Amino acid sequence: MIASDLLDVPVHDDAGAQLGWVVDLRFVLDGAPDAYLARARLHGLVVSPRTRTSFMGFERSSVRHPWPVAPILRWWHRGAFLVHWPDVARVPHPDEGAGPGDDAAVVLRAGYTAYEPGL
Amino acid sequence: MRRRRTGSRDVPRGPEPRQPGRVLDARLHLLDRQVLDVDGMPVCTLDDLELEAVDGRSAPDEPIDGSVPVVVAALLTGPVLGTRVFGGRPPASRWHRLSWAHVVDIGTAVRLSVRSDDLDATWLERWTHDHIIGRIPGGHHDPESS
Repeated sequence: MIASDLLDVPVHDDAGAQLGWVVDLRFVLDGAPDAYLARARLHGLVVSPRTRTSFMGFERSSVRHPWPVAPILRWWHRGAFLVHWPDVARVPHPDEGAGPGDDAAVVLRAGYTAYEPGL
Repeated sequence: MRRRRTGSRDVPRGPEPRQPGRVLDARLHLLDRQVLDVDGMPVCTLDDLELEAVDGRSAPDEPIDGSVPVVVAALLTGPVLGTRVFGGRPPASRWHRLSWAHVVDIGTAVRLSVRSDDLDATWLERWTHDHIIGRIPGGHHDPESS
């Protein structure tokens, strides 16, 4: 699996309701020590309910400038949330979604928890 | 089947617990960054990330769900211009892999612990040097050092 298999993919809950799209993948360097850095563990998916992608991550940072770019982008991405990787029940196969009518989506487990996406 | 959308689009969110290690977002901190070798020479841009289960059970082309922890196995670079415009992904054979074990630092660029000459990702640059630039008179040395 590669990161592009997850990015921009729709996200559904266990009942089939669309929650948004995966706009980024969050990693934490807390895995087993490697040669120089710790392994980068996939911590979760950043999901935006309104847009398929994110621009500069304003919705995840405390940056307020340049005005009005930052406030507009923050408003545009309102409602974005982080869902932890263990709450992901299903990831689409890379070949899914290639044709018209294909419905590839990341499906979350029942009772998943949404977190603030801020860094 | 057409999926229905939630009504308010706003999911209740709790505060994210503090993590024990450095936090990186793929698009913000990794993808499209320049990759530099141990001497600071440019190697490539970081086009994608190869993910694998911690226990190594999954094949590279197989999806993994949240039941198993996943880590970055390698940085990937390859011919992504077409797939970024038209969609899809390059076949696995077209990717050049840079092992995560070679990553020394992640900042404005991603720094490696190896020399670019030792990496498959720079084969085109070496081929161009040997077969095109090297055949031009004076093409074998730095003009400022002659």
